[in-house]
Parts: sequence; structure tokens; C-alpha cells
Amino acid sequence: MSNIMTVDILSSIKGAKPSQSVNQLFEVIQNANQNSNTANTVNTNVVSLHDLREDVVIESSAIEKQIIKENFPKEKNGFLVVAKVIED
Amino acid sequence: MVSKEISCTALVQEKLDLLKQNKYHTVNSLLEETALELASKVDSKIANGEKIGLLEGIPFGIKDVYMVQGTYTTASSNLLKKYKSPYTATAIQKLVDAGSIPLVKENCDSFGHGSSSENTIFGAVKNAINPALVGGGSSGGSAVNVAKDFTTFSIGGDTGGSIRQPAGYNKVYGFKPTYGRVSRFGLMAYASSTDCVGPIAKSIEDIRIVLNIMSGKDVKDQTSYASEEILEEEISNASAIKTVGYFKNFIESKAISSTIKEDFLATIKKIKAKGIKVKELDFFDADMLVSTYYTLAMAETASNLSRLDGTNYGARIEGENLKDTYSITRSENFSEESKRRIVGGNQVLSQGFSDEIYLKAQNLRDQISARFTEDFHQVDIILSPVTPANPPKIGESLQDPLAMYLSDAYTVGFSLGGLPTLTIPKGTSTGLQITADQKKDAQVLQFANFLNDIL
Repeated sequence: MSNIMTVDILSSIKGAKPSQSVNQLFEVIQNANQNSNTANTVNTNVVSLHDLREDVVIESSAIEKQIIKENFPKEKNGFLVVAKVIED
Repeated sequence: MVSKEISCTALVQEKLDLLKQNKYHTVNSLLEETALELASKVDSKIANGEKIGLLEGIPFGIKDVYMVQGTYTTASSNLLKKYKSPYTATAIQKLVDAGSIPLVKENCDSFGHGSSSENTIFGAVKNAINPALVGGGSSGGSAVNVAKDFTTFSIGGDTGGSIRQPAGYNKVYGFKPTYGRVSRFGLMAYASSTDCVGPIAKSIEDIRIVLNIMSGKDVKDQTSYASEEILEEEISNASAIKTVGYFKNFIESKAISSTIKEDFLATIKKIKAKGIKVKELDFFDADMLVSTYYTLAMAETASNLSRLDGTNYGARIEGENLKDTYSITRSENFSEESKRRIVGGNQVLSQGFSDEIYLKAQNLRDQISARFTEDFHQVDIILSPVTPANPPKIGESLQDPLAMYLSDAYTVGFSLGGLPTLTIPKGTSTGLQITADQKKDAQVLQFANFLNDIL
């Protein structure tokens, strides 16, 4: 398989092509000046390691489980059917 | 309700009738049964002489990107047309716990992708003042419902201006709080680093009350933070605000309409006349702000929406194999605008482009944030127009995506800075934006009260 992946493959959208309007936005960024003095101002929203939530499994409620099953796209004879998988 | 002039059931029924009959395309689904059940409970409480809370029995609307258990949550998309929320968003749950009654899931641009609420499977939202014009977006249905009194308040979502711009287009108040003040848990992610939950209402007092209820740290959103309640007395006096700034280049831009410019400068004059110092500030060009925002937002949305492949939920369309199923499901069910943004995001995240575009945009965002920090050493408040021009006619934005992106020029910068910003429906034809430094949401409301008095 080729190492080069086109945007339609990357996006899982058939026939997708880059948009001219969007490319015009990217050109502005390409032509902009970088500033190397901003390193200390970044990521003020990062989460502190001391403030992480507990890593626990929370059981879903019965209604939650029921709706998750209802949302599943395909059901046959009481089984939830996934899309056909072919390895390549 | 307490004085028994109107029952809660009558109030809720009246709003439901208005929503049902409305021709503005603001409704994706009505929550009629549960709304009437909740209203009847409030009436029983009042009849029994029990005390009711400030928001108890107040009907409200919800942009259709919020999870509300058991309701259709479509994001105005074909892909999720029949998707039901298994759980409820934290912000919405807090309002329900306070007794508010959810009435309606509101029309918006699909997944928040748009500035006009035309990118939707439920029909373009019409402007509350002139139905030939767009309702604005992406929280267009929410702003129009509030403007037309179909809901008492609505909860919108703001990633790059999606609460503030439709609020301005429909002449109501719309608040984007400091990033993290309100939990994003249960809000469908568009661009996680700027997504904010916020209220749209007809008064500053309503904004304050609803904001207080929704705010607070939530273990389910690790970027949320604990905040103090904003008191009514605290925002009634703006004497602490000594200096107001505005971005000179926003006002001198060729893109701004002459009326909005004149009206904005007239407002500045009135502020000066009240003894407040006004400072002109230099800021980044509009095209730089828009390009930085869209580069990052597209990268984030490409990542966030990659989960929508029809495997566990959504309108799956079977192909020959798994990959084929993914791509047919996505190409058939995403709108053109959503596809444009997903593809753009994958472009900038791919090898060879990420250094040149994505990382550079991150660097520009840091420069923008640094500039805001400097600015707020000099001024207490930054005032700006909400949009450079009046709302376009329905149909125009879809033909010219670049023009639509550029129309967000005045809102996206504040999103990148994570700053609290309120639209007030005064000062220009599409309102004014009031911005303060991070976590100074109270100061924004303070200055809004001051402006309300002088405009």
C-alpha cells in the first residue's frame, strides 16, 4: 500500500478534494511570521497532573444501555450487526 | 406563576403552541410530553404552597448539539437524524435540577459548521427581524426563539462566535463565558479548545442567573474550573472600570459597513463623555485571525468527527467492506460545509503540512493570547462590533464560503483567547461585543449594565 494518503482516504469521504476557499485561509498562515517568544504563554488550559479525575469504571444506567442499543444502526435476531470487515 | 396570574402548564403550552406554529425553522424537535409533565409538577408545588426556585417552571430552548437523555440529538445533520441521547449534558442537567423546563431542541448549522444556520437538514433559520435574512449561526434557532419570545432563554454553543453573532443579528443578549467556566460534557464537540456553553436571553439579569446555575467544575470535563457566583449587586456598579480599549484596525477595515463604523464610534464618544478613558489598540489583521481560527477549528473537527462512521450509531450505509461502509456513510450523510472542514482539517494535520500550517497556526494563537494579556494590562474592557456587516440574505452565504468565514472576523479572536465576551443588542445594528480578561465574566456583565444605561 502506498505511503501517500490522499485527503479522501484520510477523511473517509469518497471523492473529497481540498477546497479553494479553505486553501486561501491556509495561505495566510503559510505567509505569516512566526514568533519564538511565545513559548511560555501556551497551554494555559492544560490540566494539572494533580487534578486528574479518578480512573474508575462507572456502570451505565439501564436506560442509557437501552438507548445505546436503540442507536445501533442494524439489529438481526437479537444481535447488533457490525459492518462487514475485510482485511487488506 | 407564584401570584397565580398564569399557571406553569399554561405558560409551557403557550410557548409550545408558538414553537409549533412558527415559520422561522427554529425547531428540530419539541419535548412536549416531558415539558408538560414537568410543568404540572411545578403547578402542584405552587398549589401546595411550596416555595419555588428562581428558574423553576421557566421554559427554555436547547441548541440541538446538546445531549438530553432520550431526546433526538441530531446536530441538524443527516448522519444523526435518528440519534437519541443516552445521557444529559452537565449544563442542561443543572438547569433541569434548578427546575427549568426544556421545551425544544433548536435548529443550528450542522455540527456548528456555519455562520448562518443554513447548513442544516431542517431548513434555513429565518431572521427574527427580517425573515428574508439569515438567523445567523451556528446557534441561529436559539437566538431567533429568544428574540420571538418562543423561549424565555436558550442555551447556545459558541466555538468562534456562534452565540454572539446570531444574538447580534436578532437583537438579543448572547454570552460566551470564559473557556472552562461551564462544563462541555454532553456538548457535541466541534473544536474542543474553543467550544463554550452559553446563554442567549433578553436581559443581562437573565444571562447572569442562567450562567450562575450552569457554571462550575465538573469531573467529566477536565478543562472546567470552579468559579464564584456572580451577584446582582456586584454587576450593578461599573465604577471600577476606568479604561476601555478598542481595536483600531477593526474599525478602519475596508470590510466594515459605514453605518456600523459610525455607530460604533458614536458609542465610543458617549463612553468618553462619561469620564471613562478610551484607548485605541493595535491588533492582528482580520484575515490572520480568521485563518488561525479556521485552521485550528478544522483540525479539531476533523479529529472529533472521525468517530462518526456509522458503526455504533448514525445512519450507516453498507458498502462492500468496512472502509467502504465508513466512506459511503460519511460522504452521503455529511453536508458540503462539514466535508469541507473535515477535509481541510485532515490537510493541515497531514505530514508535510502540519509544520507549515497547523503548528504555525498554534504559534499564532499563542501570539494572539499574549497580545490579549498585554492589552488587559492597559485596559479593563475591550469593546468591538459583533460583525462587520448586517446579516446576509438567505442563500448568499452558501454560495461563498470564504466570505462567510471572513464575516467571523470580530468574534474568532476572543474565542482563541478563551475570553468572556457578551453581545448586547445596542450600539450598532448588529450589537456590540464586551470582552474582559479570562475569568472576569462579572466585569463583562458590569460594563453591559453601564452601556445599557447610556445607550
